[in-house]
Amino acid sequence: MSERYDIAIIGTGPAGISAAITAKVRNKKVLLIGSASVSDKVAKAHMIQNYPGLPEISGAELAEKLLEHLRVMEIPITDRKVNAVYAMGDFFSLQIDQEFWEASAVILAGGVSFGKPFPGEDENLGRGVSYCATCDAALYRGRSAVVVGYAPKEEDDASFLAEIAEKVYYLPVYKEEPHLSGDNIEIVHGAPVSIEKTENGMKLNMKEGSITADGIFLLRESVAPDKLVPGLALDGNHVKVDRRMAANLPGLFAAGDITGTPYQYIKAAGEGNVAALSAVSYLDSLRKQA
Amino acid sequence: MSVKKINAPEFQASIAGGVAVVDFNATWCGPCKMLAPVLEELSAEMEGKASFYAMDVDDNPEIASQYNISSIPYVAVFKDGKLVDEQIGFVPKPMLKSVVERNL
Repeated sequence: MSERYDIAIIGTGPAGISAAITAKVRNKKVLLIGSASVSDKVAKAHMIQNYPGLPEISGAELAEKLLEHLRVMEIPITDRKVNAVYAMGDFFSLQIDQEFWEASAVILAGGVSFGKPFPGEDENLGRGVSYCATCDAALYRGRSAVVVGYAPKEEDDASFLAEIAEKVYYLPVYKEEPHLSGDNIEIVHGAPVSIEKTENGMKLNMKEGSITADGIFLLRESVAPDKLVPGLALDGNHVKVDRRMAANLPGLFAAGDITGTPYQYIKAAGEGNVAALSAVSYLDSLRKQA
Repeated sequence: MSVKKINAPEFQASIAGGVAVVDFNATWCGPCKMLAPVLEELSAEMEGKASFYAMDVDDNPEIASQYNISSIPYVAVFKDGKLVDEQIGFVPKPMLKSVVERNL
């Protein structure tokens, strides 16, 4: 991908959509990445009573209104998963599977759907624990791996890994029965508890028993922000931002639940607006430097 | 000065004197591709203070296993031949620079 976007916005909840709308109003080249059907959290909300102008609106209705706003503004949603965001200096490189997309500024608006890491996960990240099967598959030629999938769509990544690895154990963390292709994939059921490095490899402890393999892949809906963006400063579990919604890396902004409580739709939308305007000022300052 | 690509036979001599930074990478590794230009810039900024090398782990498996490298990019900092610091995974330039500087 050779074209460089002005602003890449990760997340399609009220924060990301609000940021995209404002950036588009300011005539910026916008990349909006996230679920095409708007963040699940919005769609599932029961009733929202404090969104000005939209009294007594259900989550599903708000989601529809947000999508309609994007359609009116002609802002497409790119329904892909960002594996990592690399700060390259005066631009960012977004890894999307094996592709790299570029943007001058990035707004993180992916919410807080990431859970707490398992005991042993952080210490072994990059040393036997990975979050991206398509990225690290090549390291597993002739080796074995456990894949913990948090949604049925991760089955594709497990199948891809099984084409290269000798053996793949697939542990679904959802109710649907997995459909996997490949003779060397074994489906394992259990509840993961912790991860340990042992002499024989990486051991995934479950409530009932354990599995050991050369590596463990944890494929979650979203990863913690400091894992998504190497070098990002956090405040507790949230992205550390100032009043401009600027994070510690120049050109990086955040908005919505990812920056902390209160977890309110209108707060998210407001922050998205601020983040977009701050990103626009940042782009102006970049141009002046050049 | 730029980052010099080396292989196993040149390895010991390359890290023997002063501060040497070795970027262990592979052609298929995405974050490695992103880290390479960062190291190029650093090698120019830190000329005379540290020397910068790059090694492909697929071409040099014996060195990779000697240092127990299980994830790349892996940046190792050597001082007079001894491993003194390491950085696993991509980091922005100012942070990588501080990893090298704290060993000068």
